[in-house]
Amino acid sequence: MNQLSSEEKMTTQDINTEKEASHISRRSFLGMLGKGAACAGAAVGAGGALASAGGGAANALGGVGPTYQQEPEQYAEARKNPPKIPGYNWTEHKWAFGVDSNRCIGCLRCVEACKMENSVQMDRNHTRTWVERYVYLEGSDHAHVDSIHDLKNVMPGSKETRFVFDNRYKNAKVTKAFFVPKLCNQCEKPSCVQVCPTGATYKTPDGPVLIDTKYCIGCQYCVQACPYGARSLNHVRGTAEKCNWCYHRITKGLNPACVEVCPTGTRIFGDRMDPESPISQFLRNNRVNVLKPDMGNMPNVFYAGIDKEVI
Amino acid sequence: MHKHIVNLLILISVIVVVAASARYLARQDTFFQYGHYRGASVAQIAEKLPKHQGSATCEQCHKEIYGEWVSGIHRKATKDNAIRGVVIKSGPGCEVCHTPAGNHPSKEAMPLSTEDQVTTLTHKWENHPINAADRNLMRDPQDMRILCTNCHEKIPGRPLRGKVAGEGVPVQAVTDVVGIHGVPQVVIEGHGGDELCTTCHNPHSPRIVFASVPRPPSDPKTGKLAAVSAPKPGDANAGKAVAANCAACHGANGMSVNPEWPNLAGQHTGYLVASLEAFKSGARKNDMMSPMAANLSEADMRNVAAYFAAASCKSSDSDKAKADLGKTRAQAAGCAACHSSGGLNKAGIAGVSGSQAWPNLAGQSAQYLTVALKAFKDGSRNHAVMSSVAKTLGDADIENLSAFYAGASCK
Repeated sequence: MNQLSSEEKMTTQDINTEKEASHISRRSFLGMLGKGAACAGAAVGAGGALASAGGGAANALGGVGPTYQQEPEQYAEARKNPPKIPGYNWTEHKWAFGVDSNRCIGCLRCVEACKMENSVQMDRNHTRTWVERYVYLEGSDHAHVDSIHDLKNVMPGSKETRFVFDNRYKNAKVTKAFFVPKLCNQCEKPSCVQVCPTGATYKTPDGPVLIDTKYCIGCQYCVQACPYGARSLNHVRGTAEKCNWCYHRITKGLNPACVEVCPTGTRIFGDRMDPESPISQFLRNNRVNVLKPDMGNMPNVFYAGIDKEVI
Repeated sequence: MHKHIVNLLILISVIVVVAASARYLARQDTFFQYGHYRGASVAQIAEKLPKHQGSATCEQCHKEIYGEWVSGIHRKATKDNAIRGVVIKSGPGCEVCHTPAGNHPSKEAMPLSTEDQVTTLTHKWENHPINAADRNLMRDPQDMRILCTNCHEKIPGRPLRGKVAGEGVPVQAVTDVVGIHGVPQVVIEGHGGDELCTTCHNPHSPRIVFASVPRPPSDPKTGKLAAVSAPKPGDANAGKAVAANCAACHGANGMSVNPEWPNLAGQHTGYLVASLEAFKSGARKNDMMSPMAANLSEADMRNVAAYFAAASCKSSDSDKAKADLGKTRAQAAGCAACHSSGGLNKAGIAGVSGSQAWPNLAGQSAQYLTVALKAFKDGSRNHAVMSSVAKTLGDADIENLSAFYAGASCK
């Protein structure tokens, strides 16, 4: 774009140069500036492409190569001396998450369970996982979307600790409606990790993107970088907050809390390296997609049964 | 060299030395171990103790309730696994309603995780409610109607299984369609009115099974189950002496002398005791019955109930045309859900309630049934379910229904 705009300037100036010869130097200067900017842009772009090619892509199923922004020698160290978690080796798993939106009944048990399990602030503005409701009214071609962030969906008298979807469309003519649970996508190429200035958030070889709360300075750059709005600031701790698939549970052989309480089997979790795990079966038996694939983040949360308006 | 240049160089070298030493001394050993992060943090994050313990943990102490849940519909709710080819946990477990167990039954607060210990200069330490000593773990379900409607209130977008209960008609059972994921749903106003769901449904196994005794009554405000001692069976012989006081109106064998008074012969003991208790406590008022019940002890009530329950009942003759109309209305009004031994879905004996808590209607006179329904309708007698049902009935409906149940066989 820089090059184009400077060329336009040159053509308009060509008309004027017939009168003033002294402007030739300015014209060539602008031309050089345009070329220089174009080259710089290309260099930055190429550098970015090279950087992102450095990790993640080769590691779709884990145990194959370095994760995002991990040097080969660091990956070798991760295999040789894995973190001391009893009975768990992080290079032997590749976790993934499935959401079967057809089943979701919007009971919000997952949201409350997550808040309890992970000591997330109880009010409606702080969530690691949440559920969105998409409602198409008769004669309207766009969806009305709401979630627990809407005050109406807070259970009356609960001081914003308990949530229930308000029956606001009771008397409306609804042509289509469904619920979509959302959570951190634990991307293969996480934007949040790329922008973190202190190394407080990182991609693990087994899948989840974790937050080291001791190193997090609460700058919220990651909150802005995430294309999915999955991150928020925990105003009690002053650190970033997001879903980590209950890393403390999955490393003990348990399901994440939201999967544990989901009464309908909407949320599916498992190890992609085990072909018989729930998630492997889910991916085999359903046609799934991910949110915002064009962002290039390569999410690890797979959705079945969502509409085109869900992003 | 000029002095100010020397000063500048000294300053720069001091900065370099400080930065270099900070780089090597203040850095965590594990930083850069696996990447641009603190390697030790992975194990610290994984260290946190899980708060959701799973339903199997509850079984260790609460065997009886766990058994109810395992055999009930809540456990089987999502057993359509084979169709979707996905292995999933079945139905809502204990912690879905009771909130996570944490370190229950310990009264101590759970230890803080590394994450929870983080404080910053700008953010002062506050206890998350779950970590406080009076933590929110393992709450008693406070209002069970809110808990149930979280999943079972009919709202647009909620996948449905079977029919919607309470839409158009007061009470209507939900038929179960196997293989379609979704939940049975109710329109609250038309289904139970102000009554708590747990009056009729056992939350651990909510499908109404008419062979089982429903759970004890619960306090409508707190939702807590009312304390009841294990019901001891009454002694019919001892009850005969008490029944002598009743004989003047209800007859020595439980057949009343006035058709506007209820027959007691063959009635469920549970219902008779509950009625006497209601008269004694004042929850139900009747000029004749209230003073009679006030003098009875609990044992007297059980005994006299056992005496009349054992007495032989007799159905009365009724207008056949009205009874036929009443039969149709009974199905539509949902009477059969409680007052038929088979419930709505299975053909059972009409007028013989499957549960001890609900009265048998067969064996009553048509006049008494009419009086009772009209009392519910005009509000002089109150019951959450019956009052809302009776308000949907016209005078002709009441007469037809009474004729139908009065003529039904009570055996």
